[in-house]
Amino acid sequence: MSLSQTTKWFATLLRRLLALVLLTLVGGFLAATLVRYSPGYGTDERELDPRLSQGSVEWMRSQHEQNSNLFRYYGRYLRAAVHRDFGNSESLHRPIAQLLAERFQVTLRSVSLAVFIAWSAAFALAALRWLVGGWLFDLSCTLVSGFLLSLPAAIVALIFVYLRAPVFLAIAVVLFPKVFRFIHNLLSHASGQPHVLAAKARGIARSRIFLRHMLAPSMATLVALLGTSTSLGFGTAVPIEALSDSAGIGQLAWFAAINRDLPLIMNLTLVVTLITVACNSLADYSSRLIARQI
Amino acid sequence: MSVRKALRRVAAFLLCAIVLLAIAAGVVTPYSYAHQFRELPNAAPSAIHLLGTDGLGRDLFSRLVYGTRVSLLLAPAAALLSTLIAGVLGGTAGLLGGWSERAILGIADLSMAAPLLFVLIALRAMLPLDLAPLLSVIATFLILGLLGWPASLRVLCAATRDIRNSDFLLLARSTGCGPTRMIFRQIFPNLRPVLLAQFWVSIPVFILTEATLSMLGLGVSEPIPSWGNLLRGLEDFSAVSSNPGRLAPLAMLTIVVICFQVILPSQEELG
Repeated sequence: MSLSQTTKWFATLLRRLLALVLLTLVGGFLAATLVRYSPGYGTDERELDPRLSQGSVEWMRSQHEQNSNLFRYYGRYLRAAVHRDFGNSESLHRPIAQLLAERFQVTLRSVSLAVFIAWSAAFALAALRWLVGGWLFDLSCTLVSGFLLSLPAAIVALIFVYLRAPVFLAIAVVLFPKVFRFIHNLLSHASGQPHVLAAKARGIARSRIFLRHMLAPSMATLVALLGTSTSLGFGTAVPIEALSDSAGIGQLAWFAAINRDLPLIMNLTLVVTLITVACNSLADYSSRLIARQI
Repeated sequence: MSVRKALRRVAAFLLCAIVLLAIAAGVVTPYSYAHQFRELPNAAPSAIHLLGTDGLGRDLFSRLVYGTRVSLLLAPAAALLSTLIAGVLGGTAGLLGGWSERAILGIADLSMAAPLLFVLIALRAMLPLDLAPLLSVIATFLILGLLGWPASLRVLCAATRDIRNSDFLLLARSTGCGPTRMIFRQIFPNLRPVLLAQFWVSIPVFILTEATLSMLGLGVSEPIPSWGNLLRGLEDFSAVSSNPGRLAPLAMLTIVVICFQVILPSQEELG
């Protein structure tokens, strides 16, 4: 790699990192705005506790008044976040940083396994559909993916609870039809390209056409889809973890919403936004690199 | 007639029948959706209660038909709202180009920075949880409509950009066609198929999202039925095994979403 190429590479990387930080900051600010102006913000049910003195109640009110200015509120939050202090959960009465650290690992494991399984199954089926073909196989694939697409994620979660199957499989089942349809459409488009038709006319083996002339040019788009499916996996984790009683950030988000734990919701939104943007940026960057090499 | 065409006709017929059933809910159902037969909780299907009753003794058939009305009439309303927002913003971005396009697409990117379901849950949690039932219906579908536009926006922006660069628009501009006339006579008619496709695509997405939200207790509140909160009945496995009629909302939802999938133009048809 020449010096100019290295400089260009670093500049692109820096630009993307900057975009990532900016998007996260803006996302966090929007979340803070929603939390700050949501109905009931600033009221504390402890004020109704008859055991507290007037002084204690005044102190609690003054604490809330400190957050009356949105920018000051967000600035204070960011300053504390730099020191890994994300505040305390109002419903679970525990530090949010601790909750996130515990739960994130569970969801990350489930989503990673789910994405791997969904992709493997979707890719294998889409490839078989092209390589082996046959109307029965074609119809079966369409019916299975169509049926799975028409099920709400929460129902898939319930079925897996009844079957006592692991959470990652439920997430994989929700992801599979979406990924399958996309890969199938991509391969169908690639199979109609003039160079593929020419290769077919020359009598080149189907497997060789698939690998060299269909898969290789589609790699960049496939990698970009990988980023999207990871973020989709985190979204799917919410209903599935909530209904399967899996202690991940999906369940935590549902718990925070049900208990209206606004600080926890704000932090979770920020973390999920950061993960999604990072996944998409990484996939987008890799996809561009691959496209350039092709 | 091709198989696909025949399938589309069947799907359209089924959808029309279900929509008519939902509209005529007051005539078709023997009881109100909230009426409780306290002496008959968890009753099995019978001539009086076609699908049996739920744990509070409410007629499941009546609740299913009224729930269909809520889900099937409000999801298109939410889809219309999101398509309108996407159309206005995407059309403006595609037509103006430059920094306006970048700014609008940036807002769309920001809206898509977190998964839709996650944002919906976060936003719903900001509202009071003890919303009145009717307000919860409006809030759920309003939030869906207000947040579901970013994906459609990108498609509409690209379509408008293509139209902006087309020969017929260049000709219209050179013959002195004004901006208002150009938008309503040249751009909008050409954008209509894309708008319609985005509208139809959004409906099943919103139906499924409402179902998931309501199953999590963050959507439509009781006693108003929707497919989502009817599906909550499936959490009680013993009740489902004793009365399979409880699976009717799931069957109805699946049939409707499959019908939408069949009716929607395929990737090849969209070109």
